[in-house]
Amino acid sequence: MAGLVVLAAVVVTAAAAPLLAPYDPNAQLDIVALKDQAPSLAHPFGTDPLSRDVLSRVLVGGRVSLAAAVLAVAIATTVGAAYGAISGYAGGKVDSIMMRVVDACLAVPRVLLLIAVLALWGRVALGPLILVLGLTGWFGVSRIVRAEVMALKTRDWVAAARALGAGPGRTLFRHIIPNVISPVIVSATLAVANIITLEAGLSFLGLGVQPPQASWGSIMQDGAGEVRALWWLSVFPGLAILVTVMAVNAVGDGLRAVVVAKDS
Amino acid sequence: MPLLIRNFRTSFYTDEGVARAVDGVSLTVSPGETLGVVGESGCGKSVTALSILRLVRPPGKIEPGSTIELDGQDVLALDDAALRHVRGNRIAMVFQEPMTALNPVLTVGEQIAEVVRVHEPRASRQEAWDRAVDMLDRMGIPGAADRAHHYPHELSGGTRQRVMIAMALVMNPAVLIADEPTTALDVTVQAQILELLADLQRRLGMAVLLITHDLGVVAGVATRVAVMYAGEIVEEASVGDFFARPHHPYATGLLHAMPRLGARRERLEVIPGAVPSPTAWPDGCRFRARCQFAWERCATEHPPLYHVTSEHTSRCHLAVEPERRGSANGPQRSRLGDRASV
Repeated sequence: MAGLVVLAAVVVTAAAAPLLAPYDPNAQLDIVALKDQAPSLAHPFGTDPLSRDVLSRVLVGGRVSLAAAVLAVAIATTVGAAYGAISGYAGGKVDSIMMRVVDACLAVPRVLLLIAVLALWGRVALGPLILVLGLTGWFGVSRIVRAEVMALKTRDWVAAARALGAGPGRTLFRHIIPNVISPVIVSATLAVANIITLEAGLSFLGLGVQPPQASWGSIMQDGAGEVRALWWLSVFPGLAILVTVMAVNAVGDGLRAVVVAKDS
Repeated sequence: MPLLIRNFRTSFYTDEGVARAVDGVSLTVSPGETLGVVGESGCGKSVTALSILRLVRPPGKIEPGSTIELDGQDVLALDDAALRHVRGNRIAMVFQEPMTALNPVLTVGEQIAEVVRVHEPRASRQEAWDRAVDMLDRMGIPGAADRAHHYPHELSGGTRQRVMIAMALVMNPAVLIADEPTTALDVTVQAQILELLADLQRRLGMAVLLITHDLGVVAGVATRVAVMYAGEIVEEASVGDFFARPHHPYATGLLHAMPRLGARRERLEVIPGAVPSPTAWPDGCRFRARCQFAWERCATEHPPLYHVTSEHTSRCHLAVEPERRGSANGPQRSRLGDRASV
């Protein structure tokens, strides 16, 4: 419950970021006088080496981080659910082949895969970045959905639907998939937290969100050279990531508890 | 003569061998008639029901040479689209467990309307819904318009079974297959559901294939009885004839295992032994290990369906050697409770 409140606060803050931000997040305020300022009343989170206001950048960067995570998870969940549902419903050889493909993809470490893809790609716009994050994240979901579909397809109401004339598409999409939604929502919620950290990591490495656009990871990257001197560039976006990920995970665990309680 | 099943075989190709669950079954169900198919668990009666609609899943397989005809149309030769048209529209099925045979995430009204929309793609959502509500009303569910908005878990077992029947009958099928439709219900609700089925059958003139292990249900609503044992029909007769003059020792055993009202207080009889494994049906008569009359012929010669009378058949050599019935020398039927384990 606390997770939900915190998460709601984070989401509202991110949504209202342009109104809340005291400065233009990308504006260089005064490259001589206002660079590398420690936190003060005028700049509560300090300024970065390009004299930009870090509070404004954290607020607006949160939008980017959250939106990227949610969209990437939406892509991953849709692809994974469709793939897993088809694999589980088809069964037999089709299922074996489709699942071996997933096994092969899971055998490649995701971070390495992303680094390789993004490094080869060069500078990536936000849209393709989200797409790449989504398309490398659906393997787990597809396994969950496949397992659920395999269990559900033997249920009586599925046989009943077929006995009364429903074809395979209708059986799958109307009688099976709606019953898989709850575990998928749980897994998607937890995946959001995962993608927030992943995107931050990639942006920190310079492979994710590209300058001058702010995201929590790229703000940390701006101060990466002098972490000790410019500590505010790591601490504030880091705290934002920590709070958000913990809140999302708490919500995910809460949802899981609800789903488990409903099933038993 | 809507439904004709001839020499029907369904086998399951498992790692333990080929289980011949349905092994040469022939049945006919005519309009206005209720054929009760009786047998204990594992005799193949439910697989027969699923096979008629070609719903057996791998490793189950309907063997070549099997025949199902619906009004002269070969159901086994239909392509997928034509088969879907038959399912629910001309042959409908009611399942045993009203608890699990309804989709938990759709309202019952939606589930009935769904059947209409499958078979009449041009029907509007509203038309389909109206027909669903009308169907629930005809099932005797009070406040049908309101009940249609309920989810299955909000309804009682009896109401859910009425919903199942409504789903099965909404397209006005020629044949209704009911697989243990009342087994999961309270006795009073059972009686109501059976009465409802009988009443609907009279009005709609359907052919009903009623699958059950409960001879009381058969006595109440069926016009003919077919007894299944070990994948085969072992006796078939009209209900009156069957209960008055059962022929096959398995059938008489079933009747003696049934409690009767008004009978002298006595222990129920049990049939000794269990159904043999479908992966290895015994040679000769499949019931002989449990039969008190079994003799040499039963071990060597698989009995055909003998005609006891023109309308009464039995798969027992006693039909041609009736004097053997006087000499019981196989395992005796015991009274329930005589032995420690049953």
